[in-house]
Amino acid sequence: MTPLTLFLLASLILLALGLVGLITRRTLVGMLISVELMLNGAGLSIVAAAKTSSLTGLLDIHGQLAALFVMGLAAAEATLVLAMVLLVQKRFGRVTTETVTSLKGAGGSNYADN
Amino acid sequence: MNDLIGQIFHSLALVLADIEAWLAPYLPGLNWVALLAFAFYVILILSGGLTAILARNLVRATLGLIITFLGVAGMYLLLASPFLALMQLLIYIGAVCVLIFFAIMLTKNTADGEEAQAPGPLNLIYAFLTVVAVLAVAGPTIVTGTKDIVVRLPVDTGSNLGEGLLSMDLLSFELISIILLVAMAGAVYLAWRPQGQLDAKNEKRESA
Repeated sequence: MTPLTLFLLASLILLALGLVGLITRRTLVGMLISVELMLNGAGLSIVAAAKTSSLTGLLDIHGQLAALFVMGLAAAEATLVLAMVLLVQKRFGRVTTETVTSLKGAGGSNYADN
Repeated sequence: MNDLIGQIFHSLALVLADIEAWLAPYLPGLNWVALLAFAFYVILILSGGLTAILARNLVRATLGLIITFLGVAGMYLLLASPFLALMQLLIYIGAVCVLIFFAIMLTKNTADGEEAQAPGPLNLIYAFLTVVAVLAVAGPTIVTGTKDIVVRLPVDTGSNLGEGLLSMDLLSFELISIILLVAMAGAVYLAWRPQGQLDAKNEKRESA
């Protein structure tokens, strides 16, 4: 067991927590929180793995830059999800995941045109 | 009194030295201060993450998320990437968490919101199965695949990162700036309501 193992296991914990949250949360905002957990795990594992050039063949710098890009993508994604949550709230009145099932057809739709 | 405190510290140092001697063969290249810090950050990540996924109040869940972000920032410090730790604080806690708070408050989804009731039993079973599958695949892979790999930790300054951004990762750098611009414009477009629609809605409400 090396230090790299410990860091990768920590990022695996983040991934598992995010998966549980993503499946069990009822609202879109809760799912957004879980996705942020998983993105953090991804960034941590990228940085830790890039510290060992024998494993990835990359320089340390590029691992850190990749984690920075993950952070930028997370910020962009959070912005878009905020806009989508606002739209869903405006159109359906609720933001639970079961409300956004209009494509299911009969019975699944509770579309309220404001 | 001073003798007593000195004795306590002395015995504590002896215990820590024992633990270090016991762990040294298993963890080459990591001293016990770093190990203690690592354990602290893991506790932060675990407690914050559990709060983030289990709290029935979404504001509390976001606070747990902030604790987790702090733990991950500490991990970056341990990995000798201080710039990343700073960016973690600035971007995640400063921007993303504030956005999540906005989403919670704008949907009025706080204490007695839709998240107040516990998840259904079927969802819990799915979550359990998924996590067991992921852990069963990734856990042994990590433990066996990272054997005999020694981590070198050169401390990087921000200037190294800047040179990397402008040389090898230039394309990614430009692409992510475009993505941020498109995401911002898209968010504004999604949430935008043209002036005519607002007027029509107000007239409808007044006439009703």
